[in-house]
Amino acid sequence: MNEKQDMKNKSEPQRRYVPDMSQREIDELQNLIQLNSRKIIGDYIERMKKTSLNRPAEMSYFDDIADLFGRRQRELQEAKQSGKKIIGYFCAFAPIELILAADAIPVRVNSGWYDAAKIGDRVVPVEVCPMIRSTIGAKMISLSPFLEMSDALISLLTCDGMTKLSEILGDFKPVWTMPLPRIKDSKQSLRFWNDELKATKTNIEKLTGIKIDKKRLRNSIELVQKATKAFRRLQELRKGPPVIMGRDAMLVNQSFMWDEIGRWTEKTEALCDELEKRVEQKAWACPPDTPRVLVTGTPMIWPDNWKLPSLVEEASPQGVLVADELCSSDRILNDPVGVDEWTMDDMFKSISERYLMASTCPCFTSADGNEDRINWLINKIKDANVAGVIYYVVRGCMLYAMEYSRVKKALDKISVPVYYLDTEYTREDVGQMKTRVEAFLEMLAARVDF
Amino acid sequence: MITAGIDVGTQSVKVVLVKDRNVLSRSKAFSGFDPSKSVDEACSEALKLAGLTSAEIDHSTATGSGMKMALSADSTVSMMGAMAKSAVTLFSSARTVIDVGAEEARAVKCDDRGVMLDFVVNERCAAGAGAFIEAMGRALEVKLEEMGPLALQAERASPINASCVIFGESDVVTLIHRQESKPEIARAVFDAMADRVSSMIFRLGLTPDVVLVGGVAKDVGFVASLKRKLGIEILIPDHPEYAGALGAALIAAGRVR
Repeated sequence: MNEKQDMKNKSEPQRRYVPDMSQREIDELQNLIQLNSRKIIGDYIERMKKTSLNRPAEMSYFDDIADLFGRRQRELQEAKQSGKKIIGYFCAFAPIELILAADAIPVRVNSGWYDAAKIGDRVVPVEVCPMIRSTIGAKMISLSPFLEMSDALISLLTCDGMTKLSEILGDFKPVWTMPLPRIKDSKQSLRFWNDELKATKTNIEKLTGIKIDKKRLRNSIELVQKATKAFRRLQELRKGPPVIMGRDAMLVNQSFMWDEIGRWTEKTEALCDELEKRVEQKAWACPPDTPRVLVTGTPMIWPDNWKLPSLVEEASPQGVLVADELCSSDRILNDPVGVDEWTMDDMFKSISERYLMASTCPCFTSADGNEDRINWLINKIKDANVAGVIYYVVRGCMLYAMEYSRVKKALDKISVPVYYLDTEYTREDVGQMKTRVEAFLEMLAARVDF
Repeated sequence: MITAGIDVGTQSVKVVLVKDRNVLSRSKAFSGFDPSKSVDEACSEALKLAGLTSAEIDHSTATGSGMKMALSADSTVSMMGAMAKSAVTLFSSARTVIDVGAEEARAVKCDDRGVMLDFVVNERCAAGAGAFIEAMGRALEVKLEEMGPLALQAERASPINASCVIFGESDVVTLIHRQESKPEIARAVFDAMADRVSSMIFRLGLTPDVVLVGGVAKDVGFVASLKRKLGIEILIPDHPEYAGALGAALIAAGRVR
């Protein structure tokens, strides 16, 4: 309440981008979209329960944490009241180890709400990536509890959309931008990125009043390393016959973005224990000959972006997502921070390498292009025994759209079919998408037969 | 063995009855507001033409964007799967099938058994589909079936850069204001459509022989433009608009038992 009032008085005259909206309109839209969103969240969870033949009991924790307006919102409110700082971020490049080291809470705040994109259209044209438009819209009507509670935002300047988003959100909150070098494997790039991390560290320290020392940083690195171990264990289990549906695994992966990390790690390990038992019992989530699909492309943010994964796993013939190359899922924790000596310098170097070198984001290029992504995809396809790839792009997501031809050529070479599916932040195209997804799965099923 | 293929398209329902790979009858009805009713109508008509009753059909397979509306069908197959099957049955050398329907264009790559290997669908852009010709015909005050012959009379090309029906129409109006001749504008419309369709095919990879199916394959104006863009011969079956239904009927034959 006070914060809202405060913000209004302070920032309204300085708004550079966002037009005025009456409080009444904000409240109305917020209530409407939130109500709709809670229904969608509930529906998707129910559909996920129905799809899996043997849904792990441990999923119930993640079903609960998936409610963006439920338990986690309350926990964060309480943490905030007790004086903790919350730092929102938009991208898998945000160094969460530094946030955690200052006793602050990291939450990823990209918007997955389709309805909010229409509100963002008042600020930017429809050609802009819908995830950006939706995040702007969500902020305009205070829709996202996590974004609202954030004391500051870390914005990585990966693409054009992200670059301007940070400016626009600057109308509401302190935004710490972190430009990325576009070429990662050069000395000056690493040095530059290292300096960016240091600047962010200073920002975090100023906000929290906590000095990030060696002990604190080591503790937070170790906390995230444990999470990475659990994360990798889950992805490892997905390589065999389908012991968990792809949507369930994606929800586990993605809830890392807003859950308390220690607890998330425990729950993920418990889930993996249960899954290992199921492997022994051969209790599969769907028939083992179900076509195995990998998705790559634009991040799919919960809840509305469950559109494609749901189509795949509820289709006839059915498919199962066994892996993905999304920065909102399998890529979040793929690479651990490897530290040799626990000196401040070494820890920093390790963090900067984990984020920069390991990334397959299409914002990078080099003399060989973004070859890391091709290699990542090919390895994953082989490891997870993938039958076909869906290349998912939301309109306006230039970098992913532009890399398609290269990925297609590379996958043609290893005879793995890939289908380019473009969509929007809208529910209206589900019918058209379904026709395409089912044709693709029919094709994969026919290949399995021969 | 007698099978039925039912193609529930955006504009019309097509039904083909097949006995041992030979077509017994074909029928068509407008999809309209109640496609399941249109399916029933088209099916009854096809049965009547073949002198059969529905009990004599061993298996029926539906395809097309509204295939779920064919409630009486025993199974379904994707439009791309059906197209590949019928094209290779009609022309054994077919390896790429292009289907330009009223509201969607698709291309499928297939093997010698008619199994699809890859496909691409136009990205929600009506400028690459039949409805575009209809809309542009309205702007020119020319009937749909006259557009093609008119375009063939054009002496030169006047390129328009249509990305959708609405903008395409404003491009056409610009040509009208420039007092271009009707044949040239008609050709510009087909060239723009062929541009959209061919760039989709080039992304898929052009593997001959190429077969063109769908209602738009009957339009001589479009066929001429597409041939120019692709730079190769295009095979067109006798009843191109029934290719999806035929493919479904052939696939149904494999599903009996």
